[in-house]
Amino acid sequence: MSRIPTSTVLISAAFLIFGCGGSLFTRFISRAVEQDSTRMEYIPNKITHPLLPDVGLSILWIGHASVLIQIHDKVFLTDPVFERTVGMLSRRVVEAGIDPATLSHVDYILISHTHFDHLNYGSLSELPKQGKLLIPFGAAAYTPEFGFQETREMKPWEMFEEDGVRITAVPAQHFSGRYGFDIFWTDGEGYAGYVIQYKEKTVYFAGDTGYRDSLFTRIGERFRIDVALLPIAPLEPREFMSRVHLDPQRAVQAFAGLHAKLMIPIHHRTFSQGLESSVMQAQEELEKIVSDVRLQGKVYIMKIGEQKIVDE
Amino acid sequence: MLFAIFFSVQPLCGQSSSGDTINEGAKWRNWLILQAFPSLNWTIFPSQTNFALEWRATPVLYSWGMTKLDPPWHFFFVNPPERFAGSVELNVTGQIYPSSIGTTHFAWSGQLLGHLPLIEMGEYLGLNVGVATYRFNDSYSTFGVAGLSTLFGFVHWNTKYSPRDRIWMTSLEFRFF
Repeated sequence: MSRIPTSTVLISAAFLIFGCGGSLFTRFISRAVEQDSTRMEYIPNKITHPLLPDVGLSILWIGHASVLIQIHDKVFLTDPVFERTVGMLSRRVVEAGIDPATLSHVDYILISHTHFDHLNYGSLSELPKQGKLLIPFGAAAYTPEFGFQETREMKPWEMFEEDGVRITAVPAQHFSGRYGFDIFWTDGEGYAGYVIQYKEKTVYFAGDTGYRDSLFTRIGERFRIDVALLPIAPLEPREFMSRVHLDPQRAVQAFAGLHAKLMIPIHHRTFSQGLESSVMQAQEELEKIVSDVRLQGKVYIMKIGEQKIVDE
Repeated sequence: MLFAIFFSVQPLCGQSSSGDTINEGAKWRNWLILQAFPSLNWTIFPSQTNFALEWRATPVLYSWGMTKLDPPWHFFFVNPPERFAGSVELNVTGQIYPSSIGTTHFAWSGQLLGHLPLIEMGEYLGLNVGVATYRFNDSYSTFGVAGLSTLFGFVHWNTKYSPRDRIWMTSLEFRFF
């Protein structure tokens, strides 16, 4: 008696869950299965003291969109993900660049949006709690209480200022929700980029965003950006991804619109996200573009776990 | 793999820029569609086992696991973290039994359930405890409830036992908001 209703339920579930994705879904599944069987790359000689006693501006790429930014005495951390998996089963290709236990303090944690690879509950639980957690407006319904000193939602162009630090939430072209189904009632809010300003230094963290000319020129007109942290992946299928993600070419265009001094690519190499031939594809494409248009010195491609002193 | 589901479904469904407005009508319409998705329930009486399809709604939920930015009281519409990060809810269910229980194919219940996070704020694993009162035909049975939730709070495996009537009930529940 129970067999027919059960199969009906399962078929309904399949339609409900996979209806939007079609055959693309099966390609993503195959890629995810392939990726799950690959061994995670470990980082030799990981930095054990990422917070520096005296530095003008340093950038440490932890992997994916997780970046530790230190400007003098202030420490900022973007989209912290230290765990081996996100979304329960998607494994890292390369381990996290630092151990969260090495962070004695973080002043501001910036969350760009609510997707698994950006708002990671386990990683936030591991961080020291004296800092402030900034989330985009609309993300509160996805943000459990982690015990940070303060959690604050920020609308696009809203500023948060204290102690000489100014953090501005800036628009992004992306999508929100967390579980797939919720995109229909969360879209239009719950995602942002941030511009951090402190002691004459300005860092732009784009979060996850697609390309729109006016988006970047507006940000570029408003801020004199020293470092732009721009996502360059996932790439494939190109038309599908380009609506909500920058590829290397678009990232370089965005960089031009921003008039920033230095671009550092992020959101690549860490997880197998799209249908690229390898996790290195985005980086290789960017390297070629940098070489072709002679952007050496303007674009700096970091290794996961590398710390770059931008200004002593 | 779920990450793959996420990446394949989401960008196809749309994109927009920060600040676009949300369509409240679409929100409730989609919520309603998801509520149509039934849970699976097996009720084990001393003399027989019955399979049922079960539909549930949450008239009220109090969440204590979220930041103060998120209101603690929720009515019908519950985002999964609001439930799995720590909450207590009153939910009502209706069951359809393809093979009858006595003279009926239907049952109703009211449940008071607490959700406690175990792993990843409850997103990976949570504990459910509570009480439930089921009405079969004209009789009521009260159950103690214990179970686990996983997969972002979408899947709950709950076991219920009524000591007075010696009825076991086990259910695989799908909770989408």
